[in-house]
Amino acid sequence: MPNRAERLQVTDTTHFLKGSLSLTNITDLVQFLAASYKSGMIHLTRHPGGVEGKIFFLAGTITNVTTDTLSGLDALSDILNWNQGEFQYNPDVTSIDKNVGLSVQHAIIEAAVLYDHRSEVVKQESTTHTGTTIDVTSDERSTEMETSQRDSTTVLNDLLMIPGIDAVVVVGRDGFVIESAGNSSRINIDELGASLAHASNAIEEMGSELKVNTFQDMFIEYGKAVIMCRPIGDAIAAVIAPDASKLGIIRHKTKKYFEELALLF
Amino acid sequence: MTVMRDTVVKSLAKINIQGDENGLIPEYDVLVNQLPAALLNLFSERLMAAAPPERKATVADGLVRAAYECGYHTGCGIITSEAFNDVVLPMVTEGEKDILRGAFAAFTAWGWAKSGIVQLKDGERMVIRANDYYEADSGGDGLRAYMLRGLCQAFFDLTYADPYPNGMDTFVCQQTKGIEAGDPHGEFVVTKK
Repeated sequence: MPNRAERLQVTDTTHFLKGSLSLTNITDLVQFLAASYKSGMIHLTRHPGGVEGKIFFLAGTITNVTTDTLSGLDALSDILNWNQGEFQYNPDVTSIDKNVGLSVQHAIIEAAVLYDHRSEVVKQESTTHTGTTIDVTSDERSTEMETSQRDSTTVLNDLLMIPGIDAVVVVGRDGFVIESAGNSSRINIDELGASLAHASNAIEEMGSELKVNTFQDMFIEYGKAVIMCRPIGDAIAAVIAPDASKLGIIRHKTKKYFEELALLF
Repeated sequence: MTVMRDTVVKSLAKINIQGDENGLIPEYDVLVNQLPAALLNLFSERLMAAAPPERKATVADGLVRAAYECGYHTGCGIITSEAFNDVVLPMVTEGEKDILRGAFAAFTAWGWAKSGIVQLKDGERMVIRANDYYEADSGGDGLRAYMLRGLCQAFFDLTYADPYPNGMDTFVCQQTKGIEAGDPHGEFVVTKK
């Protein structure tokens, strides 16, 4: 869908940044450009299908996102999952229309949340259609663990492969450190386990009091570390990153591993 | 709120322990001894080494049984003790699961094994992981955390089976991983017998 409101000030097309989506992650690309306070537009073409998308940003803020059929965060959520196709960065192209208006980190997190919700709906619809409902109540977790193909150590090691993650820890609700992996020399893992258990209990109580459902994610940003944690089954998984610059991509990429861990604990 | 391990460990660690003239500590309705862990390991190792191949499984079962008897009575003493009532019970919100969490926290506080619950299916199945336990330093072959096996079974019996003595041996514990066998941690699975 052509964006009629875009304003072009292009003088030289030979210096544009361009490449393949199979080699470059869009989240990384957007974060990289935003970190240097660039303004412009990333034009993307997804393969197969030839769907086009545009991400406009201005001084670290995503202002406008569109695809052929979607706009705003819906479009960004869709685009972040494209992994085949091409992109081209066009500097100094701005959009008059604003349908996002969030910092890059915030926009990526919101898009990832949107994607999670959409996937959840699709999954529910799929199970309704097929009639195969998976009971994920706490009493059935043991059964699910038995059917899992990979052990927790393997999943934790996969989590460590995500750029920006220093360490991963799985903690019981009582603060027992079930498993950890990675370089955690900056943090005492036992202390972290106890603190996470206390924090998540307090947050769950708060959610219960406020009647806003169970807690799904917790981000804690310190000067020298960022901790992101999420309930997995009857335990809590936390990843530790040295800074917040990759928080969006970390949240996006950890999702499937957290889901896998949820079947194990 | 649930039982917080660090709170339990810190509270129990403050309790002053004084052995009597025989070195025995009257605690939890049993007499706890202060024999070095190396001696207990050596005892198990020599018993297993002395057993002929066809009797090794029976001797191993005997060691687990000894630990079970000890764990059952000590565990019962722990969860009915004044310290447990004061420290753990106020945090119990999830019934038996929290009692077990508290019991393993107390077990850790006493230095027997740094262990906790990984997975629990009420009254049916429990997976325990131990990151540090004295039997990890024992000599011998294969998985040989007899004490922990017996104790995990005893704790689960105490929590979910009928009261003493009918509830004894309702569940059984198998060791599936062991630091002593080269695994990163010890793992113990309790199921119905």
